[in-house]
Amino acid sequence: MIRIAAVGDVHLDADVLGRFRPALEELPDCADVLLLAGDLTRHGTESEARCVAEEFGGLGVPVVTVLGNHDHQCDQVPQVVKVLEDAGITVLEGTGTVLDCPGGRLGVAGVKGFGGGFAGRCASDFGEPEMKSFVRTSNESAAALGEALRGLDCDLLVALTHYAPVPDTLAGEPLEIYPFLGSYQLGQAIDSAPTALALHGHAHAGSERGVTPGGVRVRNVAHPVIKQAYSVFHLGGDQID
Amino acid sequence: MTEHSAGPPDAYVEAEIQRLLTEDPDVAEQGITVVHRETGLVLTGEVESPQRRAEILRRVAERFPDEAITSDIGVIRTQAPVQVEELP
Repeated sequence: MIRIAAVGDVHLDADVLGRFRPALEELPDCADVLLLAGDLTRHGTESEARCVAEEFGGLGVPVVTVLGNHDHQCDQVPQVVKVLEDAGITVLEGTGTVLDCPGGRLGVAGVKGFGGGFAGRCASDFGEPEMKSFVRTSNESAAALGEALRGLDCDLLVALTHYAPVPDTLAGEPLEIYPFLGSYQLGQAIDSAPTALALHGHAHAGSERGVTPGGVRVRNVAHPVIKQAYSVFHLGGDQID
Repeated sequence: MTEHSAGPPDAYVEAEIQRLLTEDPDVAEQGITVVHRETGLVLTGEVESPQRRAEILRRVAERFPDEAITSDIGVIRTQAPVQVEELP
């Protein structure tokens, strides 16, 4: 069994420093890894990233993250990534990592993802350059996730995104904004590999549980949804063929 | 569409506040719901600190000084979980 703790959308800045830390100190007793589902900061500044590093660094368990849309706001992504990596936090963007846990080798592939909407109600690669650019961003992001997932050699495979791969976990959000909250292409990428669990954030008013069309369990771990410092999942550790 | 006195239609007020709360760098909140009722503005949602809640209310009051504001914005709890989810 592999124990995964996860949370997203913590939106750290100096005013939040220390709020998560008491619960995080308990992590080594209850989890093998902490996965962060993006929107670590308010605006994606280097100083906010230092707050993230201070709050989520040195926890005694590996920390793996993707970035979210807020982490891109100030166009300081390279600086943010460097601060996080200097604190020992692994940042994924169309990439993956394998962690040796007591219960087996955990593979995590991650990407921020993007909007676009869900099957039958989605944007298409057609029309104005701005629309084509929007949809191509979604397509490329999902393709990178799928490639990263299929490339990992591990016992248990987890997909980590900021944007949602299914509409199920958006229940509670206005239907009109679903295309800005995720894309079906992410779900398709997750279903292209033997993924055991998909974790995402971004949808603050969404709901916790869903499943991809291919049967992969999806959990929305946005902090406003889970209403605790992090959620913990125990996965069976079935071998991947 | 309901209008309050000579002010703009509700939908435009709500849209302006939602964009203000997202695009103002001192706020940057996308999860606040705004409803313009006859009694004034009602703000709901959750934020990460009491300071952020106070700043939201200050900004909205500054922009719409003649509107009564009702706040039901909570601060999200950060306690450790007491249960795990088993996923066999």
